[in-house]
Amino acid sequence: MTRYIIRRILWTLILMVAVSVMTFVIFYVLPSADPAQLRAGRHASPQQIEEIRHKYHLDRPLLDQLWFYFQGIVTRGDFGISYVNDQPVAKLVFSRLPATISVAIGAAVLWLVSGIAIGIISAVRRHSRLDRTTMSLALVGISAPVYWLGLVALYLFANDIGLIPILGGSGSYRPITVDPLGWLNSMILPWIVLAIAFAAFYSRLLRGTLIEVMGEDYIRTARAKGLPERTVVMHHGVRAAITPIVTAFGLDLGALLGGAVLVEIVFNIPGIGRLAYDAILHSDLFLIQGTVLLAAFFVIVANLVVDVVYAYLDPRVRYE
Amino acid sequence: MSTPLLSVEDLSVQFDTEDGVVRAVDGVSWSIEPGRALGIVGESGSGKTVGGLTLLGLTRSNNTTIAGRAMFGGEDLVAMQDEQLRQIRGKGIAMIFQDPLSSLHPFYRVGDQIVEAIQAHSEASDKAARARALELLGLVGIPDPRARLDAYPHEFSGGMRQRAMIAMALSNEPKVLIADEPTTALDVTVQAQILDLLDRLRRELGMALVIITHDLGVVAETADDVAVMYAGRIVEKAPVEELFARPMHPYTWGLLRSIPRLTGSREEPLLPIPGRPPSMISRPPGCAFADRCAYVADECRVAEPILSPAGTTIASACLLPETGRRSAWSGLAAGGDTDAAFKVLRGGK
Amino acid sequence: MQIGEGREIGVQMIGIRSVVSASALTAVALTVAACGGGGSGTAGQNMVADKQNVAGKKGGTLTLVASGDVDYIDAGAAYYQFSYMIHYATQRPLYSWAPDEITTPTPDLATGQPKVTNGGKTVTVTIRPNVKFSPPVNRVATTSDVKYAIERAFKPNVANGYSGAYMGNLVGVDAFTSGKASGISGITTPSPTTIVFNLTKPTTNSLIGALALPISAPVPPEYAKKFDAANPSTYGQHQVSTGPYMVKNDAQGNASGYQATRSIALVRNPNWDASTDYRKAYLDAINVKEGNSDSTVASNQIIDGQSSANGDFGPPPAILQKLYLKKSPQLVGAASGGIRYIALNTTVKPLDNINVRKAILAVSDREAMRKSRGGAAVGDIANHFLPPGIPGFEQAGGVKGTGVDFLATPTGNVALAQSYMKKAGYPSGKYTGGDTLQIVGTSGGNAQKIAEITQAQFAKLGFKTKLVLVTQDAMYTQFCNVPKKAVAVCPNVGWLKDFNDAQTLLDPTFNGKNIVQVNNSNWPLLNVPSINNAMDAATLVTDPTKAADAWARIDKDVTAQAPAIPWVWDNTENIASANVQGVVNKFNSSWDLSFTSIK
Repeated sequence: MTRYIIRRILWTLILMVAVSVMTFVIFYVLPSADPAQLRAGRHASPQQIEEIRHKYHLDRPLLDQLWFYFQGIVTRGDFGISYVNDQPVAKLVFSRLPATISVAIGAAVLWLVSGIAIGIISAVRRHSRLDRTTMSLALVGISAPVYWLGLVALYLFANDIGLIPILGGSGSYRPITVDPLGWLNSMILPWIVLAIAFAAFYSRLLRGTLIEVMGEDYIRTARAKGLPERTVVMHHGVRAAITPIVTAFGLDLGALLGGAVLVEIVFNIPGIGRLAYDAILHSDLFLIQGTVLLAAFFVIVANLVVDVVYAYLDPRVRYE
Repeated sequence: MSTPLLSVEDLSVQFDTEDGVVRAVDGVSWSIEPGRALGIVGESGSGKTVGGLTLLGLTRSNNTTIAGRAMFGGEDLVAMQDEQLRQIRGKGIAMIFQDPLSSLHPFYRVGDQIVEAIQAHSEASDKAARARALELLGLVGIPDPRARLDAYPHEFSGGMRQRAMIAMALSNEPKVLIADEPTTALDVTVQAQILDLLDRLRRELGMALVIITHDLGVVAETADDVAVMYAGRIVEKAPVEELFARPMHPYTWGLLRSIPRLTGSREEPLLPIPGRPPSMISRPPGCAFADRCAYVADECRVAEPILSPAGTTIASACLLPETGRRSAWSGLAAGGDTDAAFKVLRGGK
Repeated sequence: MQIGEGREIGVQMIGIRSVVSASALTAVALTVAACGGGGSGTAGQNMVADKQNVAGKKGGTLTLVASGDVDYIDAGAAYYQFSYMIHYATQRPLYSWAPDEITTPTPDLATGQPKVTNGGKTVTVTIRPNVKFSPPVNRVATTSDVKYAIERAFKPNVANGYSGAYMGNLVGVDAFTSGKASGISGITTPSPTTIVFNLTKPTTNSLIGALALPISAPVPPEYAKKFDAANPSTYGQHQVSTGPYMVKNDAQGNASGYQATRSIALVRNPNWDASTDYRKAYLDAINVKEGNSDSTVASNQIIDGQSSANGDFGPPPAILQKLYLKKSPQLVGAASGGIRYIALNTTVKPLDNINVRKAILAVSDREAMRKSRGGAAVGDIANHFLPPGIPGFEQAGGVKGTGVDFLATPTGNVALAQSYMKKAGYPSGKYTGGDTLQIVGTSGGNAQKIAEITQAQFAKLGFKTKLVLVTQDAMYTQFCNVPKKAVAVCPNVGWLKDFNDAQTLLDPTFNGKNIVQVNNSNWPLLNVPSINNAMDAATLVTDPTKAADAWARIDKDVTAQAPAIPWVWDNTENIASANVQGVVNKFNSSWDLSFTSIK
């Protein structure tokens, strides 16, 4: 297992390099904006632009630029400068992390708990009215765009523009270190909105697998042993049905930590998602690189964690 | 003969499905005494497994209708509350299943699964339960049981898994053990070992064994009495020697002729029963076996045969004349073909 | 400066930094209300009042709701309307614009109007002796600080976007930028309160115009040099102020109140002395809340909320309409000094034929284009290239236009267009050549609609077109700004004034001498020697009336060349909470933070 993990970490590094190379290539191949012109400003003369191009190595071949980029990361921990924000990429990304982590973790807890609970109840009480109701709602939850849900939530509950002004609305984010209550107040709506879509998906996923699992022979064995139904469902059924949930959860959380773009935009949360979005909008190459790398990092790490946890959950799985 | 330990009386099980009502078990009665072994034989879909599961309440659902009685310890398992029945499962009546790999939970260690079974019915401490589990693994003949306790099912061989299943079933010293096709998924050599084990345990522990199988060979080896099921009903019931010596039902003949006999010559052909069992949803009137019966008579299509004595110890559900059947089987047993038997049967009329 | 177009979901328009927004009154939310240009045309109910000199109550905190960030928190680099809102409240350039002033900048750090001598080649300014820098510098600002501020703006690590264009004629600029001189010799400081600018050519108007931009706000060299040594300069993060407000900072000068892309906290500058300033500074503090990209949500937060006003975005059409119909005092429009047009590449076949261009202008349904932005409520249909409020606008024909027949019908005139096509050599009145015209537009939102409407206009005359849609930054920097790409039609371009001078509108966009291979803004690649020469001459005219006449004639000449389809002179729409007594700065077309107050 240790060898496996080490090998995976090495792979992670290779993947990250590949991801940044791809980002570079995409940036230059697709019609993206010219960073030097953006940096130089409207009235800049061609000479000034050339000067800036030179200063930022933008006049060098792609390979050289990549080399400078990686050299900066390895030797100085320097992920480059955001042309648009005039700030080191690492600093910008780092300052955005707490907000994204707040959104992702809070929503994850909410959707995991509610999704699993609803999934179990509707699987166990299959075809009941409760099952039908929650599954229909789940279908709505899955189909409803997060952006739209966010706006609906704001117009219902935000304390500035909502009909029932009870919760913090768009732009009310406070860092937890500064104002824990304000943080909580501002996070509740984003959490709920994000959790609705995911909980809907998770409950349907769990319901499906749990129904399947409850038909397995080992469930019959558990019942034949005389175990209470509760134990049969939770200890034998859910335990087996949870593995796809764990996989999905790991990947979803990993992706969210890379930036919950839509929610961060609707609720004006200063997170990685907004940063990445703005970076792409403004062709801010190194910032795009930084956010892409971070997102890739989270996704790859999430994959690794999922694999390791999977081995723990399912003893039949062993990695070489 | 002592009082029955478990007595099934006119048990019926129906499932409501989208296609209609499936009459999986249709008026089945049998009983078993302590220390005895009953074999229930039939093709798949004959209702033999459903009957077993129903005794433990494992077929209960909104879509199932269960009628009849199953008396165990003076109480009716069919009418019993879920919670009371749960306490009988594993403790009063235990059950093991066909495929030991899929019947063991893949994510839990074998020892833990046995411990769980023990603790479902007793306040035993983890330590005590573990010690008992170890003892059980030894009892069922698993080598190096201490090490196997912490192994996962997938690390066991097929035979070992079934031994582990048996150990788990035995953990609360049940009075009745229902073994549903316990050897079907196993190699031939392993099959014999498992059957020997079951036989030994039955004798040593004095429990009643209900062995459900499609394989008459298994029955021959383990059962005292045999009930042959076809299309949800028992068509023949007899002590095992009687059944093999003088079967009175054409379906049983078919079963017997379709298995290789140790006494038979090598050239003797195996004769599968032609045709398929009838639909359990819309059963035609008359004898359920009529369509597949080589000796079918007109009345078989009309009247429904009931299980009735056809000798001192054998009961059979067939409308054909008893003497004719007896002669026909003699011919078949002596190596005669179906046509000859048919002539004998009709001639004896 | 060119006009930007917001592309974020639900956002009408937001300023995009750098190229797009990098310009004085840049790419702001130009979603516009129903009002004509300042003083002319259709005067709407929600237009900013002529005189706003109402006294306000002292105290309170204003929240400025914004979509994006300032382009640069460093006043020396800032080139964006939204940034100017902040910088004019925190910095004191030599000159600045009092809210109601649109012709002459008000002396700010300076004590009076500049003295022009030496045939327009020398400009002398005297400054106040008692304006102090905010903590931690705490000393009186001198003319050396102004000289340093301008010099640093020429360095690539500050990268001011307009210094070269308006101050490039200062003596010694080339020697300085090439590193041969340690300072710009054309800027001298005979005394701590006197500063002299020497030009190689009498481009006085441009210089004086630029002196009223934040570039001339003093920067203390002894404090700033260590920050200016970095690339890019980090002075913005440690900037000191001379205005009534400053970005909240710590004892070392670190601007803790500036969270890039998130928030800006402005507090009172303790060293500001009201007796030296014309600003009122009623508010105690201003909090800028950024990242509100949904303009509907953000607008509602302002309109239904307390003590809030818009920063860099305009209300979306639905809200705009509602406020406009209610004649709500919470909505105030101001002429932006900007124009949007569809550039026709005069060097690409068949657009090199003037009659073809005239035909396209004639057939164009400019009413439909304006409708796609919100209809009559967004501003007047443009009939020439100088926008309302700019000297020369009225002389060129005002709202009605210069009188050319091909712009006489806003909904398009097919018969006229066909007659021009016949003149161009297409007897059927339709294009019969084999060329396919490439149109490069901005994807998404209003911009894309305009691009698609444009394509439809060409189809009316039988042109084959190919529409390419990319991001706005890419549209400018990779296509329309690059003459070599030979893009035939750029439907999403526009230009905003840098200051109230026709030169800043017409010279960069239609002077053939300004065509460059990179970062070009003469998108039609119009290169008519008589127009080029007229512009060069007009730049040197110092008399305001004569200059206005000269630029009006140029405007007419450019319009007659049909190099582009002008379609809207749009306004900036400002909204505020009911308890905000908002004052609009007419120069910057947006809220003046030094005069706005809480009721």
